[in-house]
Amino acid sequence: MLVFRKPPENVDRPQMPADVVIVGGGPSGMGCALRLAQLIDQHNSRRPEAPINKENIYVLEKAREVGQHCLSGALLDPRSMRDLVPSFENEAPLDAQVSKEAVYFLTEKQRFKFPVTPPPLRDHGNYVISLNRFVKWLGTKVEEAGITVFPGFAGAELLLDGDRVSGVRTDDKGLDRQNQPKSNFEPGYELSAKIVILAEGTRGSLTKQLIRRFDLMKDRNPQTYGQGVKELWELPPGRIARGEVIYTMGWPLTPREYGGAWVYGGKDNIVSLGFVTGLDYPDPRLDPQRVLQQFKQHPSMRQLLEGGKMIRYGAKSLPYGGWWAIPPLAGKGWMIVGDAAGMLNSQRLKGIHLAIESGKLAAETAFEALAKNDFSASSLSTFQSRVESSWIRDELWKVRNFHQGFEHGLWGGLFHSAIQQVTGGRGVRDRYGAKPGYTNMKKLDQLPVDGGPERQLIGPFKGDGRLTFDKLTDLYHSGTKHEEDQPAHLVIQDTNICESRCIVEFGSPCQNFCPANVYEMVDEPSAANGKRISLNPSNCVHCKACDLHDPYQIITWVPPEGGGGPNYDGM
Amino acid sequence: MPESILVVVEQREGRLNRVSWETLAAGQELAAATGATLNAGVLGGGVEPIAREIAAKKVAAVYDLESPLLNRYTPDAFSAALKQFIDGHPHWLVLMPHSYQVRDFVPKLATAMGRTVISDCIGYKKDGERLLFTRQMFQGKFAADVSFSCPAPWFITFQNGAFRGDRVEAGTSPAPVETVNLDLSQTAIRSQPEEVFKEAKQAVDLTQAEIIVSVGRGIKEQKNIELAKQLAEALGGEIAASRPICDSGWLPMDRQIGSSGQTVTPKVYVALGISGAIQHIVGMKGARSVIAVNKDREAPIFEIADVAVVADLFEVVPPLIDAVKKAKAG
Repeated sequence: MLVFRKPPENVDRPQMPADVVIVGGGPSGMGCALRLAQLIDQHNSRRPEAPINKENIYVLEKAREVGQHCLSGALLDPRSMRDLVPSFENEAPLDAQVSKEAVYFLTEKQRFKFPVTPPPLRDHGNYVISLNRFVKWLGTKVEEAGITVFPGFAGAELLLDGDRVSGVRTDDKGLDRQNQPKSNFEPGYELSAKIVILAEGTRGSLTKQLIRRFDLMKDRNPQTYGQGVKELWELPPGRIARGEVIYTMGWPLTPREYGGAWVYGGKDNIVSLGFVTGLDYPDPRLDPQRVLQQFKQHPSMRQLLEGGKMIRYGAKSLPYGGWWAIPPLAGKGWMIVGDAAGMLNSQRLKGIHLAIESGKLAAETAFEALAKNDFSASSLSTFQSRVESSWIRDELWKVRNFHQGFEHGLWGGLFHSAIQQVTGGRGVRDRYGAKPGYTNMKKLDQLPVDGGPERQLIGPFKGDGRLTFDKLTDLYHSGTKHEEDQPAHLVIQDTNICESRCIVEFGSPCQNFCPANVYEMVDEPSAANGKRISLNPSNCVHCKACDLHDPYQIITWVPPEGGGGPNYDGM
Repeated sequence: MPESILVVVEQREGRLNRVSWETLAAGQELAAATGATLNAGVLGGGVEPIAREIAAKKVAAVYDLESPLLNRYTPDAFSAALKQFIDGHPHWLVLMPHSYQVRDFVPKLATAMGRTVISDCIGYKKDGERLLFTRQMFQGKFAADVSFSCPAPWFITFQNGAFRGDRVEAGTSPAPVETVNLDLSQTAIRSQPEEVFKEAKQAVDLTQAEIIVSVGRGIKEQKNIELAKQLAEALGGEIAASRPICDSGWLPMDRQIGSSGQTVTPKVYVALGISGAIQHIVGMKGARSVIAVNKDREAPIFEIADVAVVADLFEVVPPLIDAVKKAKAG
């Protein structure tokens, strides 16, 4: 019997007052914390008679160590780092400067190089990085600057005081599978805060609560998402240059799916490669982890990877919706930054620089509020105007209709993006609408039994153990670990829907889009359709795909006991 | 530098922990490789019989480290006792099994002596004059060689299964046993252990089992676990399982083998209906001999099996139980 995580009742929770709580220690949260510390230091040296205290500014990070849940390609556009840490190019762990780039269109057997690299994919001046190592480094800067980071603590619930966000409750530790306290039970803290900054990444769980509670997306486009699945490979020397960047479009996807691959040459013959599949594909049997396995079997990839060794695996969802899908960024007691807000340029496939920049602007806003002791909505909403008059807006405005143009597939998408290119991002209308990606999913009875043109992307897959891998083997390489004896953190509102409807209508796509084998339909002779849903929560790599993409929207991802999750060393 | 190695063996209530033989084997190998003298020590109250048991092996000397305050394990007493002994009898290497008990007190001991520990090692290497110890990283995916940069004594703990306990060499004649009466102070012991108890009736230490019969999804139904239990009983082994079985509550979680359960190194591991995902394999790949029964010829468990039986376990196991019983009776 599945028991889901929820806060136990009648628990006396320790209280702790805070000035600012930043939920999430990724690039946006750490960028925010560091800039806030800098501004306070400057203020305190200018006005020693009225100092601002940094001691009650906290960063919550659900990973056991800073950076361990951070995964990205990654290319870093250095724009937002230059004034944050002017010497970062000498200090930060950067693998290589981009030296060479190419874009290919793949068919099953061949590849065609774009004669010129499209401007958005020109990456000279950018750096190949491991986001994990980069954020670890940024985290040390934050701690050196005197801000306290709490690794192993997740933001589990927003605390509200009327219509004001008044703080954050951290995760309960030591609950057993039945959601009962064990002997080591430690209730979550209630951190009351003047300002809560949500920097949780894609589909942050507190951000989701906030958006629901205040209906923040009501006149926005719904957010749309992509699912990035990544492997790190160690290759024999000479296969790819340090700083070489390859993008591909086309195969193994058909023109009906959105997505593409990246291959980045890092240092020490380590190569980052991955495939982003738009979470708006029609066939529920499609599996993004499988797409990556298929991609690696392209002759050009086989040649690249032959004799190499896969050393790490991971997955992350990313927000594609762009400018029209960004919720209001601030309100009473709160601000949202980075991927949690949807700050990602889907045309350039980059968001780290926007995440950091939005964190910095939120820090400026928080600093002013602390200096004036004014935490009203009007004080914090200056964050909104700061973003709107920053280069974040300039960059996102130009691509505001980009992803929506691909609604009807690749060919229409290329047509729209060409028109948008010459109309400053407008295209054929001012605002392209969007619909949630999961609504594109077709029911099984509308699809060919063998998958038709997608047949190479569906069905059981074993992998050869050298070039391609089954999901569990890939998962092993994510280093994922959780306390096993805890309630399921994938909260399914109504498992009857899984067992009576979804299995028949969509064939239980959770088993396919989850990159970590968390969801399984297991034999159950007594169930109406012969199967019941079973969860392996401790496999979860925290990508949130289930929360985003289940066709009935009945799954809510809540943070498991802090400290659990993937171990993205070097990712 | 006194080139001598001390192996600290572990006993509880006068019984030697089996893993101590592995550490002694490690000590013998290291002594042979480096030309150092090998000594052994046992801590406790009235543990001379154990010292004598060790003395039959190929060691230079055995120290029977006695104090009534060592009757019951406490981290304060054990670390103080070893510190006192090592201060008086300098050693170059101090080897211990990476047991729960050692994990508990060795950080305190090393800190008290201003030294460090290389813990949970799976082997050693000689790199010219340097001695390197190998530790696993990334859940066993990588290994790292680590060396000491501090002066002796160097504390090393070895992982369960890293050495073969049955390869300990016997001595030509019994080694001398020296009794060292340690002077420990009751006031320095800050904890008072109560009676030892088992948390659950079924709690088992699978790491000590010599034969394990392990079941996976192929067992199909909870009631079929009984069949595997009968085989385990016939063989005199323990029952264990892969994660789906324990997840379903068919067996308690302390019977789970794999990356999220226990790591075992039995002499014989019988895998019934286990496909052999890497998460399971890492928990049992140290088994001396693996017998796998699976219907799927392609199951990855067969890649590491010594005996591969491609068959329905329900057809294989019952006659196997009979055969084992017959063999044992005969």
